[in-house]
Amino acid sequence: MSQFEPDMFEPQRDVSDAELDALFAQAREPNEADAGAAERFLVGHRARLTQLQAIQAQAVAASPARPLWATPNKPATWIAAALASAAVIAGVGVLRPALMPADLPASAAYAVYQDALGEGW
Amino acid sequence: MVKLFPVVALLLLGTAHATDADDLAAALKQARQWTARGQVEVSVFFPPRTTPTRAANALPAVPFRPALLARNFTVTRGDSEAIAGRLSTRFDLTPRQGAAARWSLWIDRVWNVPLAFEERMPDGTLARRAAFLKVNGTLARVPVQPLPSGTGLGTVLKSALPGLRLPAGFTPVAARARAEGQGGTEITLSDGVNVLALIVAPRNVRPAVGVASVRVQGRGGVRFVWLVGNLPESALKTALANVRQVDEAGLGTFAEPADSNR
Repeated sequence: MSQFEPDMFEPQRDVSDAELDALFAQAREPNEADAGAAERFLVGHRARLTQLQAIQAQAVAASPARPLWATPNKPATWIAAALASAAVIAGVGVLRPALMPADLPASAAYAVYQDALGEGW
Repeated sequence: MVKLFPVVALLLLGTAHATDADDLAAALKQARQWTARGQVEVSVFFPPRTTPTRAANALPAVPFRPALLARNFTVTRGDSEAIAGRLSTRFDLTPRQGAAARWSLWIDRVWNVPLAFEERMPDGTLARRAAFLKVNGTLARVPVQPLPSGTGLGTVLKSALPGLRLPAGFTPVAARARAEGQGGTEITLSDGVNVLALIVAPRNVRPAVGVASVRVQGRGGVRFVWLVGNLPESALKTALANVRQVDEAGLGTFAEPADSNR
């Protein structure tokens, strides 16, 4: 017997064609389980929508007050300019006293006076 | 005759004062050529210093200017006193106006040169004193050192520092540029005995006893004017109160003429 016997490719004939047709027909017919499926889906869907809206409302209520003007995600250039200006002003304020020559001690004035007094004092 | 008595008395009184001033002037003239030597104690309380008293072998120099002295001070002959065992006459110099320091000089009765100086502040506090403790037997010759009179400097100073009100009796007698690196000009003011230092500088100086300063506008930018000397703080500040600007060009080119007091 060859391994390519036609019998090997033949379907098993355990279930008849008529039985399969009946089975398919039964599957196409709505049953009791199918009767409320759409309704149950819609009820669940509406419940999920309501829950999602409630969560969003809570998030909006908990968020800080909305600013008077829209703030884009990217910082505006004027903020950077203002910060730079403030840094420059602060730097000048700190460094200017150091750049200005400090007052001389009183001994500098006394030394000139001493010279005018005459020799030997 | 009775009516003439007050007039004669006034004339005699005036003559007596003139004599005191003349006698002092003669002694100061003698002191320009001759000086006593020996052991001298010198005390300086203004300008302040850590060690006010030191020893020397001669009296320190005092830049007396007889013409200014006669104009600004009343000279009064005092008692005869002994300095270092030598008989001397005390002359008291009292400023005719203002708050300048007063002086006393002790003049040797024989040598006619000073044996002691004393400078007191207007309130009587001792500022400087120099006096012989021991004196050598003979005088020593001193080299003649001319003092600048500052003729013409007053006009230059007035235009250079408009608003400056010189303290009563003081007049500018010398001007010189400050050392390189310091910058500015130093002007010496004198009333015949006392001196004040007037400084135009690029930097300010801290206020202290005998030191006042003001910020002014110069041609090259901000400048500061200091006034230093033995005067009350109010007198120093009043002198600078109206100074707003400085023009150093005239001061820088000022040439010191010969001393007219000699």
